[in-house]
Amino acid sequence: MGQRDIRTEMADIQDKIRDYLQHKLTGARSLTLSNFVQAAGGWSHEIYVFDAHWNEDGNERERGFCLRKDPGAGLLRELSDLKQQFRVLKALEPTTVPAPRAYWYEADTSILGGPFFVMEKVPGEVPNPWSRVGKQFYAEAAQRGRLPRSFVEALASLHNLDWRAAGLDFLGVPRPGNDFALREVAKWEGLIKQSLRKPEPVLTEILMWLKVNAPEAQRLAFVHGAYRTGNLIIRDDAVAAIIDWELQVIGDPMYDVAYVLSDLNREGSPLLSCIVDRDFFLDYYQQLTGLKVDLEICRYYEILYMMRSAAFWLSASGLFADGRNKDLRLARTTYSVPVVLDMAARALGF
Amino acid sequence: MIPARQLLSEIINSLRHVIAPAVAEPYPKAQAYMAAVILEFVSRQIEEGADLEAQRKVTLDAFFRDLADLPEIARLVDNSLPSELRLCKLIESLYEERDRLAPGAFTTANHRIRRTLRQLLDQELKIAKPA
Repeated sequence: MGQRDIRTEMADIQDKIRDYLQHKLTGARSLTLSNFVQAAGGWSHEIYVFDAHWNEDGNERERGFCLRKDPGAGLLRELSDLKQQFRVLKALEPTTVPAPRAYWYEADTSILGGPFFVMEKVPGEVPNPWSRVGKQFYAEAAQRGRLPRSFVEALASLHNLDWRAAGLDFLGVPRPGNDFALREVAKWEGLIKQSLRKPEPVLTEILMWLKVNAPEAQRLAFVHGAYRTGNLIIRDDAVAAIIDWELQVIGDPMYDVAYVLSDLNREGSPLLSCIVDRDFFLDYYQQLTGLKVDLEICRYYEILYMMRSAAFWLSASGLFADGRNKDLRLARTTYSVPVVLDMAARALGF
Repeated sequence: MIPARQLLSEIINSLRHVIAPAVAEPYPKAQAYMAAVILEFVSRQIEEGADLEAQRKVTLDAFFRDLADLPEIARLVDNSLPSELRLCKLIESLYEERDRLAPGAFTTANHRIRRTLRQLLDQELKIAKPA
């Protein structure tokens, strides 16, 4: 959002989205939108969630939608393509992976000022695991026991997916060996190079260590890249949908496992991702996937995630500093860089 | 004139306890809370800023001066570069050359580099560490 009055902007975009839906839903009459909100959670894209009501053949209809729009200067813009996200969601529709249904992708920037796609608004909630309320939600759900199982099952459904049959090889397939890890390091190093405003020796040391220690993948799987609470829609104590399809790759499933194991995603909670006991997670995941979790490889990927977080924050604060994005959450991340580098340094023993 | 630290503290309180709670829309509400968080960091930055730059320079100067007793490593240093970039390039060269260095040389130099990096990090964390 720019500096214009936010209510004017919201009313304007709501009108444009209504007109767009009216055009797409042929046969819909008297279409109106309600419960229209811009979600506070999106970093890389603007996210609008709303309900549409219309009359069709004399019948009243209602459906919830979620729209993701490229803001032009969002986080990870170079690494996260909306058209690719749309293709991934379409590919997942006939599979067992819980994900929202995707309806329309629009490259035409004249409609909303940037490319966007529209998907299903999946009923449920996405408690923020960093908030007090969210922490309490997950702690109580963990006690009841159903959500931790569902959390592991949804991850296993990703890693057990026949990604070639689903047509997901368009994401790029790493060569055997350590190609996947090296590709990830190179991807994030590229973002760092674009974003860095001054030399950062700690980051250089971490990057060099990652390059010379890249592990081999035991098998290739469809990997979400940011699997944690906060990126899952929860309904009736189960994962109703995995969301935030921005960083998915074909790669080492230990990459997702390491993210679950990481301290980055639990902020003091004894539970992984604030929801699941570590031993239960490891046992149940291995049982569902037939994979052996290699904790040494996971440790490598945890350090890679810390480097990746630093890349995120450098990119985010750079966008703000350049005046390309006025979201204050991006400005705050400049102070997160030393914190996450400290975590990586400690993991490497210094 | 009211001291900057006190003014910032009052603005932070107002944002966190008066302005943000009164905003209904999620996006501007989040912006108000975030402004309060950022101002807390800015407050520390104002207090520590000049000192930190000086400490950083002292740390880096000492590191390069002490490298004289590791001539095999010192030859990898490009003295034409500014000190932070010089250290980045040395780290890259050290990893690239590690198999060609004398036994133990990589470990010794890497240990010394990491000790310096820890000092640099600790200096930055005086501002950046969460309250």
